[in-house]
Amino acid sequence: MSAYPHYSHVVEWKWFIKAGGFLLWAILAICLICDSSSAKLLIDVDNPNLGKMPIMVGHFTSNQPGSLSGSDLASIIRTDLTLCGLFDVIEAPQPLPLTKNGDPDLNSLSSSGAQALVVGSFHVNGSELSVECRLYDISLQRLDLGKRFTGSLSDHRYIMHMFDDRILEKLTNLPGSFTTRIAFVDDAKTREIFSMDYDGYNVRQLTATGTINLFPDWAPDGKGLIFTSYINRNPDLWYVSVDGQRVIPVSNRKGLNAAGRFSPDGASIALALSVKAIPKIFIISTDGNIIKQLTNGLGNDISPAWSPDGTYLAYVSDQAGSPQIYTVPATGGAPRRITLSTSYNTDPRWSPRGDLIAFTAKVDGRFQVCVIKPDGSEFKILTSKGSNQNPSWSPDGRMITFCSNRDGTKRIFVMDAKGTVQAPVSPIPGRSPAWSPRLK
Amino acid sequence: MYNRHLIIYFTALIFIIILAGGCARKIVKPDGMISPGLGMGGPGSIAEGELQGVQSSLKTVYFDFDNYSLSPEAQTSIDYNAEVLKRYPNLIVVVEGHCDERGTAEYNLALGERRAGSVAERLAALGIPSSRMNTVSFGSELPVDPNHNEEAWAKNRRSYLRVSK
Repeated sequence: MSAYPHYSHVVEWKWFIKAGGFLLWAILAICLICDSSSAKLLIDVDNPNLGKMPIMVGHFTSNQPGSLSGSDLASIIRTDLTLCGLFDVIEAPQPLPLTKNGDPDLNSLSSSGAQALVVGSFHVNGSELSVECRLYDISLQRLDLGKRFTGSLSDHRYIMHMFDDRILEKLTNLPGSFTTRIAFVDDAKTREIFSMDYDGYNVRQLTATGTINLFPDWAPDGKGLIFTSYINRNPDLWYVSVDGQRVIPVSNRKGLNAAGRFSPDGASIALALSVKAIPKIFIISTDGNIIKQLTNGLGNDISPAWSPDGTYLAYVSDQAGSPQIYTVPATGGAPRRITLSTSYNTDPRWSPRGDLIAFTAKVDGRFQVCVIKPDGSEFKILTSKGSNQNPSWSPDGRMITFCSNRDGTKRIFVMDAKGTVQAPVSPIPGRSPAWSPRLK
Repeated sequence: MYNRHLIIYFTALIFIIILAGGCARKIVKPDGMISPGLGMGGPGSIAEGELQGVQSSLKTVYFDFDNYSLSPEAQTSIDYNAEVLKRYPNLIVVVEGHCDERGTAEYNLALGERRAGSVAERLAALGIPSSRMNTVSFGSELPVDPNHNEEAWAKNRRSYLRVSK
């Protein structure tokens, strides 16, 4: 490895190292009450007219003053619940009204309109943090979910995200994806691959090649990413482990080896390879051998995107004169064009539920993130400010990350899947965001 | 799963090290003029200074927006470049393809590859052996003019020939 002196041996994802600790938490996580009786608090995500659930988040309390702030812990929860698009978050009165036994006085909170309340308490012991989190149903006046987590104080954000994943699981039967990460490319002259918590914290650099690196895509096991890099002065496909320590070539044929995407089972990779300088969509094995050429003809084909069941791919082709989105069976067959309403459509990404394809469309001269059904119906524009591109779905399908220049520089943004809430998350300029799978 | 890549990896590393020395030479921007000494050294005996002269004599080929077809001006530039390259049959040519910033990055990479391909195809038709040429797309990643206006975009939609021994 000494032949690669420029690699920073960054510990990218301390949770792999702390896997033991993580397991311990899983055992320690105590479900205080798990009541599943009738008329429970529930969000029907399949209801198209679904409104946002008003939810109150209170400051976390502690009987000892210290470095950790209860309002900071609450704000992590507020951001998570806001960005997933399912909630209207209301600030809880401070201090929270309590009953004689010290529980939240849900009766007095019911006039606020909030249907649920999130509160909790924490205890710091040296470098160890113990947090007790509770979700209350205000109208039924009962505790719906209670969890206790113990971990390292420095991992307090992760602990809160874990609780929020459980809140969404309790209310929708599908856990949130607040404990996931987003990889992206920085906007410097040599573009390196970085990753960060989905909300922009804990940024870590994965590559230090000093060359242009593009289009990261996570392996389904979350242990590494593939990306397009000019390490060898040609756009080749490379793999980097999440700790940044292993960087290995995957495909380095003459011409493009670009925009690689792991199949959902992780066994193969779709990418664009050049056939006589014409980019075509291929499927290769993870060790780089060609399995199948999927597209033919004279169009430039790029940006393959797997359907979540691995049976179809969406991709971009300009065979009709301008770049458009097509779908094709993964086993081969006739491509079908699905975008018809705008003249420039690129960057398709299939939603984890399989019901939508997010993509970039040129609308009134600027790029916007849009969604369309895989059959080409129900085209919707989700963004409007500045230029927005490169959508990538969160693993629960409730959020989309994308690159926007609306604030002057290119930043990584996160929005809910309907575009009702859109916020910048990356602390540094960046582009080509790729949302990780669920990380364990 | 990736074990067999280690061999490729180390081979690639050795390759990079060899290449790094060869590619560190300074690139001079083309000014469209053939240097006086052109052709004097004869095939296979080109000096470093002369290589720079050849490099600077090659013309940049420009393209229309979202297009890889060759305009009459582009064809004239390529014809000129072919004549230069024919005098140095031992030089290797990397045909670079570039795009302006107005497209999306992945599609631009495809478009840049196609632009490079269009130029290489015409060079081949004019008698430059394909074995001497390689196409490399940089998409919109390496603009020559970083401004955000039509003048800059027109300069950035280009194919550039990079020669080496």
